[in-house]
Amino acid sequence: MESFLVRMCIEAATESAAAVEKWRRQRRTLESMPSHLAEALLRHLLRRRLLFPSLLEVFKYSVEEIDLRGESCVDAEWMAYLGAFRYLRSIILADCNRINNSALWSITGMANLKEVDLSRCSKVTDAGIRHLLSVPALEKLCISETGVTADGVAGLASLTNLFMLDLGGLPVTDSALSSLQVLKKLKHLELWGSEISNEGAVLLKTFPSLSSLNLAWTNVTNLPNLSSLAYLNMSNCTIHSLFEGEGHKACLEKLVLSGVTMTNVSEAFQYVETSKLCFLDLSSSSLQSFSFLHSMSALTNLNLCDTALVDDSIEHIAYIGANLRYLNLSHTKVTSEGIGALAGHVPNLEIVLLSGTHIDDTAVSYISVMPSLKAINLSKTNVKGLIHQESDVSDGIPTFAALQNLSHLERLDLEEIHIKDAALHPLTNLGRLSYLSLRSVSLTDASLYHVSSALKLVYLGVRDAVLTDSGLNCFIPPPTLEVLDLRGCWLLTKDALSLFSHKHPQIEIRHELIETLDKRNFQYPSTSCTTTKNSQHKRRQGKPSTSPLRSDEIFLDQRLKYSREELLALQFSSATVSPSTHQGNPRP
Amino acid sequence: MKKEDTVKLISAEGFEFVIDKKAAMVSQTIRNMLTSPGSFAETEHGEVTFPEISTTILEKICQYFYWSLQYASGKETEFHIEPELTLELMMAANYLHT
Repeated sequence: MESFLVRMCIEAATESAAAVEKWRRQRRTLESMPSHLAEALLRHLLRRRLLFPSLLEVFKYSVEEIDLRGESCVDAEWMAYLGAFRYLRSIILADCNRINNSALWSITGMANLKEVDLSRCSKVTDAGIRHLLSVPALEKLCISETGVTADGVAGLASLTNLFMLDLGGLPVTDSALSSLQVLKKLKHLELWGSEISNEGAVLLKTFPSLSSLNLAWTNVTNLPNLSSLAYLNMSNCTIHSLFEGEGHKACLEKLVLSGVTMTNVSEAFQYVETSKLCFLDLSSSSLQSFSFLHSMSALTNLNLCDTALVDDSIEHIAYIGANLRYLNLSHTKVTSEGIGALAGHVPNLEIVLLSGTHIDDTAVSYISVMPSLKAINLSKTNVKGLIHQESDVSDGIPTFAALQNLSHLERLDLEEIHIKDAALHPLTNLGRLSYLSLRSVSLTDASLYHVSSALKLVYLGVRDAVLTDSGLNCFIPPPTLEVLDLRGCWLLTKDALSLFSHKHPQIEIRHELIETLDKRNFQYPSTSCTTTKNSQHKRRQGKPSTSPLRSDEIFLDQRLKYSREELLALQFSSATVSPSTHQGNPRP
Repeated sequence: MKKEDTVKLISAEGFEFVIDKKAAMVSQTIRNMLTSPGSFAETEHGEVTFPEISTTILEKICQYFYWSLQYASGKETEFHIEPELTLELMMAANYLHT
């Protein structure tokens, strides 16, 4: 990490365009600068919108890695300067939509370049790829969702040092893949959305070190035995068999099969060595039977969201529950009974997601005996938070009281359930709860009163509730609260919301009547969110002033004109006088 | 002030800055030099020479040491850095781990 003074120097050096002019001619110093300092300085310049092509030249001998991801201004002129970077090892140009084939000409022959990321640069085609072929040291290449065709991909065969190749979303054919067989160092291969078929999949055996493979959205149904594989993604494929064949079986660790269709599950998994498998995603798949889970005793993450899972299958999960940390059963047909079958078998479970299921309040008591839980999602279920006993005429017994046994619980999602104020009372005793999300039309001011004593809350959502201005006014938020989400609370007025945010400036309020401001505006009130247009403006002006009295300046956003203290001071005094401060909400 | 409570920092041009040991210890590098076991010349004489750091920058560094002590004790003042000095100061700060 950069030391404190280094950070202060970088801040000072990137304070304004004028500051940059003061140091940019210190050529010898810039040339001898350690790469991590030069890269930090460059990152800051980019963030402050102070970087322009000819300024890149000063980093020619110092920068080794550059990340320009998503910068739409990066074009052939930038590339011309970057091409002269003597020691450049890595260049990330993902989502730079002005990068085209001729822009890539600049990086031909760069001897030290090992990583190039051109993901989603749609103007790059086969002609652009030809420029890359003269970069012999290239190890990582990402050209997913570019305009490259199968011919262009076949040409990559000359880059024999490649160990990571992302060809996602490209029309890679079996014959293009067969010409890549010379890439013996390949470890990581992305072929999602390609035209690879079963014949092409057989060729994958010729990559001796392949450990990570993505074949999602392809027509591959039979995958041969790939002994070095640890990660496989075949989402949205139809799978007949995996790893059938001779030899040492692959020790898979991570398997993503979201949205797959399997005709016969036991047949498909027959050859899979599952003893090391710790991550399995079968969400939205067509599975009916889950008995195959028995052999997967190392699983820590299991996602069965949106499958046809019913209570009867829970026993298979319980059987391998000892190591489970994450379990997603959202939108399945599981009921409280199923959760009961799971309780007691999942000692290490930290996250359980049950939204959109038919569980009710009895499930809450089962959940409360899963000792390691940190996050629970019960949104869109039949949980009401109160159990009515027949003999009892009062409100009923709050079920969330049982959750007090869970000493690690940090996050609770209770959106879109029929929950009443009285049900929330036990939540205040959850010592570690930092995230609470509520969304119900039957909640009122009393809910706010209850949760105000949950002292560790960082995020609180009370959406679509019948909160009133006076209720908000009386609300004493927990000291750690950072976000208060009140969207859909239609009774609240703008005055009440701004009064609250005036009283608690550290809390970000979300509501339809509040325009959210980017927090960064306040950290660098003078220069951060400037566009190219007004940064030129500032170059002339020198050090920008934050005085609200300066009338000759044109600000794109009136709020940038003021510092936060000034905004707070102006909030009430000027609202009636000056229309320009009308929209000045003091809080982001 | 006793001699053992101070250190002498010498710039590339040979200018000498005598400052409190406590202030100099803000730099992790100087702290290591002064406290490391064995009899380094630095430890014995309380003198450190920086052949790579110019007088202007070393002066600024010394100012920073004192500012940093004040800042740590809760006195929040601004430490102004002239843009001309930022690059060299940054490299010196990087070397001194401060």
